[in-house]
Amino acid sequence: MEVQKEAQRIMTLSVWKMYHSRMQRGGLRLHRSLQLSLVMRSARELYLSAKVEALEPEVSLPPALPSDPRLHPPREAESTAETATPDGEHPSPEPMDTQEAPTAEETSAYCGPRPAKVSRKRRSSSLSDGGDAGLVPSKKARLEEKEEEEGASSEVADRLQPPPAQAEGAFPNLARVLQRRFSGLLNCSPAAPPTAPPACEAKPACRPADSMLNVLVRAVVAF
Amino acid sequence: ILSSSCHTEADIISTVEFNHTGELLATGDKGGRVVIFQREQESKNQVHRRGEYNVYSTFQSHEPEFDYLKSLEIEEKINKIRWLPQQNAAYFLLSTNDKTVKLWKVSERDKRPEGYNLKDEEGRLRDPATITTLRVPVLRPMDLMVEATPRRVFANAHTYHINSISVNSDYETYMSADDLRINLWNFEITNQSFNIVDIKPANMEELTEVITAAEFHPHHCNTFVYSSSKGTIRLCDMRASALCDRHTKFFEEPEDPSNRSFFSEIISSISDVKFSHSGRYIMTRDYLTVKVWDLNMENRPIETYQVHDYLRSKLCSLYENDCIFDKFECVWNGSDSVIMTGSYNNFFRMFDRNTKRDVTLEASRENSKPRAILKPRKVCVGGKRRKDEISVDSLDFSKKILHTAWHPSENIIAVAATNNLYIFQDKVN
Repeated sequence: MEVQKEAQRIMTLSVWKMYHSRMQRGGLRLHRSLQLSLVMRSARELYLSAKVEALEPEVSLPPALPSDPRLHPPREAESTAETATPDGEHPSPEPMDTQEAPTAEETSAYCGPRPAKVSRKRRSSSLSDGGDAGLVPSKKARLEEKEEEEGASSEVADRLQPPPAQAEGAFPNLARVLQRRFSGLLNCSPAAPPTAPPACEAKPACRPADSMLNVLVRAVVAF
Repeated sequence: ILSSSCHTEADIISTVEFNHTGELLATGDKGGRVVIFQREQESKNQVHRRGEYNVYSTFQSHEPEFDYLKSLEIEEKINKIRWLPQQNAAYFLLSTNDKTVKLWKVSERDKRPEGYNLKDEEGRLRDPATITTLRVPVLRPMDLMVEATPRRVFANAHTYHINSISVNSDYETYMSADDLRINLWNFEITNQSFNIVDIKPANMEELTEVITAAEFHPHHCNTFVYSSSKGTIRLCDMRASALCDRHTKFFEEPEDPSNRSFFSEIISSISDVKFSHSGRYIMTRDYLTVKVWDLNMENRPIETYQVHDYLRSKLCSLYENDCIFDKFECVWNGSDSVIMTGSYNNFFRMFDRNTKRDVTLEASRENSKPRAILKPRKVCVGGKRRKDEISVDSLDFSKKILHTAWHPSENIIAVAATNNLYIFQDKVN
């Protein structure tokens, strides 16, 4: 439990740092973003393995698949939200953001429109060779395993904002925790930018933590 | 044993570099300025006083810019300065910020022409009707003026942030490295550069490492090395192929499983790589150690020095305060027998490769008066703290020494402590 808490704390901290690194002069730094996502990934793995151990005896799992179709169409509407930027920069290995990365490459603020057709093909297979194995959710985490079986995208897909209570995806508890903690941080931090970034970011509290989870799994900022 | 000879104020110093003779010392700061110090000629009546460094020239190298296409501000902070070897009376240096490299010419003017026919002494045109005689202008001495002029601007070649520049031993080319690419330039050509390394993956989502530093071999103009965020070094030979994506040598030390921790990956990122003057070794700096590698042995370094191992148990706090991302540099002395690097609390460390002795010194005004001898410092790691020791928890992490330089042939070092520059040299008996 201690381990879980610590891992959560580090994840929240990392997300916070990522968010703020976008505000600094000189723009997003690729190396820094990479390092933050590495820590995020380690924290996530730690959290998951601790959680899995805790949940082992449990039976129920949130069904991830049904939520997906619901999520695709609304996604595109949100294309210009700057909230999406951290997401866009850290798209998950799961389908949705694959398309965006090339278009987002040359822009640090990722605001491009989402492609109409979103590939649902799991890219984890392309990642599993080479040194990227760590970026693919490990089989150990049961929640992810179920995702893979269903061929659905996990936490990432949820770019749009279903209300927090409905947050689906692979890590509902984590999502809620992050959202709670992160929105709290956003609201009370003295360093928060005075001008509200456009669109969705105006309501950070409503932002699903799931979209924050994008940064967990992706190693890179799409420039 | 070193004594302090002078120190000066500036904004936060971001790079320090001696020129090839050690006569000049350049510093760059966060405000985009370059300040060059020149060593005084040793005078006969002060035999025991070595030449001190005084300000020679100050100029604004880079200004803040705005990239309208990406809505990004480009910082004017000088990331690196590298000198060219002197080939005539003028001095040349390269300075770079995140995006643009500039070649500066620094030259002296101590004479000026006087006695123009068409202009008066202030330079105003004369009324032609008043000119009745012809004369030849003569050069008359004037107060020494040092002027810096930008001779070349090498821009628009880097999508990512430039972390290194390195002048080739052919003195005709140099390279600039950003997170994902390394470009080769000819000094005369500013509108083209040749891409020699490109590690950008086709799909950015698959990126796992970035380039952190790069340097040319001191003698072989076809050879260079670059370090990565994964703690590896690649040596490349430009004769092998046009695009040096495939390395000639790959230096990596297997990870020590007992040292594995949550932050292992990020502390293994190499922040600086330097060839020895001999060209036989390379030195790398990661967050906690300095390593010396033999070019002929790729599987592990030949020497590893602990800079501040007492921080290993504090990595989480250092992550919280962002210190874990600090990029320390490292330097060789002229004979490659001693290496130096910075730490926190304005401490810097020197390691003698032959005697295996090391020393921790502090760059601070309270502790060093001019011409006083620096006292070795010690960090207490636990248990009883002796009188002179400082405990790990009392270290000031805002006082970090990231940039240092060593004179090419003498025991003179320059240490940048935030916005102060300290110059220390051997005491002459």
